[in-house]
Amino acid sequence: MTFKERLRTFRWWHELGLVILIIGLLAVAGTLMPRFLDLKSQLLLSRHIWEMAILALAITLIIITGGIDLSVGAAMGLCAVAFGMTFQYTGSLVLSCVAAMLTGGLGGAVNGALISKIKVHPLIVTLATYAAFRGIAEGLSQGVSYSQFGEEFSQIARGKWFGVPIPAYLFLAMAVACAVFLSKTPTGRFIYAIGHNEKAARFSGIDVDRIKFWLYASSGMLAGLATLVYVSRFDTAKADAGTGFELEIITAVVVGGTSIFGGRGNIAGTVLGLLLIHETRLFVGRYWQMDELKSIIIGALLIASILLYRILSPKKGRE
Amino acid sequence: MNFMSRLLRQREYGLTAVILIIGASVAFIDTGFLAAGNLKDLIIRCAPTAIVACGVMLVVLTGEIDISVGSLMALLAALMGMMISETRMEISMWLGLPATLLLGTLVGAFTGALVTLGKVPSIIVTLGLLTALRGLTTLIMGGNNIDGLPDGLGQMTKYGVLGMPISVWTAIAVIIVTGVIITKTALGRRLFAVGSSRYSAKMVGLNETRLKLFAFAYTGFLTGLATVVDVPRLPKIEAGIGIGFELLVITCVVVGGVSISGGRGKLRGVLLAVLLMTMIRPALTFMDVGESGEKWTRAIQGMFILLAVITDSIVQRRRKRRLHDL
Repeated sequence: MTFKERLRTFRWWHELGLVILIIGLLAVAGTLMPRFLDLKSQLLLSRHIWEMAILALAITLIIITGGIDLSVGAAMGLCAVAFGMTFQYTGSLVLSCVAAMLTGGLGGAVNGALISKIKVHPLIVTLATYAAFRGIAEGLSQGVSYSQFGEEFSQIARGKWFGVPIPAYLFLAMAVACAVFLSKTPTGRFIYAIGHNEKAARFSGIDVDRIKFWLYASSGMLAGLATLVYVSRFDTAKADAGTGFELEIITAVVVGGTSIFGGRGNIAGTVLGLLLIHETRLFVGRYWQMDELKSIIIGALLIASILLYRILSPKKGRE
Repeated sequence: MNFMSRLLRQREYGLTAVILIIGASVAFIDTGFLAAGNLKDLIIRCAPTAIVACGVMLVVLTGEIDISVGSLMALLAALMGMMISETRMEISMWLGLPATLLLGTLVGAFTGALVTLGKVPSIIVTLGLLTALRGLTTLIMGGNNIDGLPDGLGQMTKYGVLGMPISVWTAIAVIIVTGVIITKTALGRRLFAVGSSRYSAKMVGLNETRLKLFAFAYTGFLTGLATVVDVPRLPKIEAGIGIGFELLVITCVVVGGVSISGGRGKLRGVLLAVLLMTMIRPALTFMDVGESGEKWTRAIQGMFILLAVITDSIVQRRRKRRLHDL
């Protein structure tokens, strides 16, 4: 293979671009604020990213099938309330964790059933459950926040192994599992097939409905898991857990190179997308000290990344 | 067609039935629900939602979606306040209010341009704007509320003319104009055409870009209008205006029977849905469930969207099966 051919068939342009962007950002941040690059403070500040990162894995798979899930943040609210209420009535942490996971799984299954069995557009289903989950969480908890789950439980998110926060290990393990699943198993390849052309996938004998159902259900279950990390970090379970997560997660996934029309994307891209957004937020937050700027930049990043992709590769953009 | 299938098929009948049932049962518990003052209050609450829903309905008819109207409303309210407040720039309201409308139209057109010319999916554009515009609003307001709006404006928006606040009259005008656009003009028919089949619409020479731009710009304009006539009723302008408004509007459009994939829907259905969605909260209040009941408002809203889409898809499937049988 000649060098030119190698260049043309190189599959990781997007990821390379992201790595360059991240390095560029870190270089600028490091020059302006030398303390920004301090590993210890970076690890300390990484705390709030993990629950979002866990959810981003599920959302990546869903977006690759051409779907979307706007309800994950709201599902976290519902899981948090389920966790808090179970803890209040039984006092058992194990039961509370099970309750949170089950609630998330059930919520995701509702999404999955409506999308795959009744064939309603995922956007509308998850917009509806976005309102419903948060609403039910508010109604059940009546605005009460549950807390005092004990020192041990809060160690899940606050504790460290070898200087790295425990949720990071959880995320890394899941990311690797997810990447292997997506690229090495038949079902993983089917997910791409569904996103490319759902009808063709159906005709070639892929059980599209079943795969979709389980993707949304597992997205709900991951919301339950993310809630555990979230609740453990704040030692508080309230109906407003995970507010606004859906936007940042979708931004990270889309910036990471997953096509919003489905059929293209990978876990490595999502991880880089998460990193880019996280570092951008940290930098903006610490340099300008303005929280409002963060949301403007994330919103703009979301739109700009797709716009850029459209401009740079007009032939690839599918209608 | 028997009664049940008509109830399912034609959203207006179903919605009217639900509204009557809820109205009657709440009135049975407390007749005060039907008192003139309460009904008037209900209509006033409906007005801004109805105004913006008219625009979002057109967007959804073309097969797109707009979930940024709540944040846009907050931004426009902040800008309007900055311009005309006596404690800020003190521009005459006869200049400041049209400027607000113009800004709304411009943001709407910008959204439309990103969707049509930039080819970014509308859900992504408006999801991004939902956050970005809210951030911009808090940035502009800098943590302070804006008060000191001109007295005349407050009077007009609060008490209005002929016994109704100006927002209600505006809503009526917008409804008539939108109704005429949808049913009587070529523009309206073209919006339906683009939504029901982009390909055929293109083949008969319709300019999809221009039609969608119009729908988005119209939504922006109406959001500005709703801001101008409804926000000055509040004692002061806060950065939290319109949180969740986009969801309410989309709920009304979807529950009102507008197909989310475009090309199908009636204004009547949307307006009935606006009434239904708006009466949930006062109905809960009158049923005397107290504070605790009102916290369920959002859950009930979500349930209504789910109910609407499920009936919609069942009806669709039945229709398809009937076509198969022929």
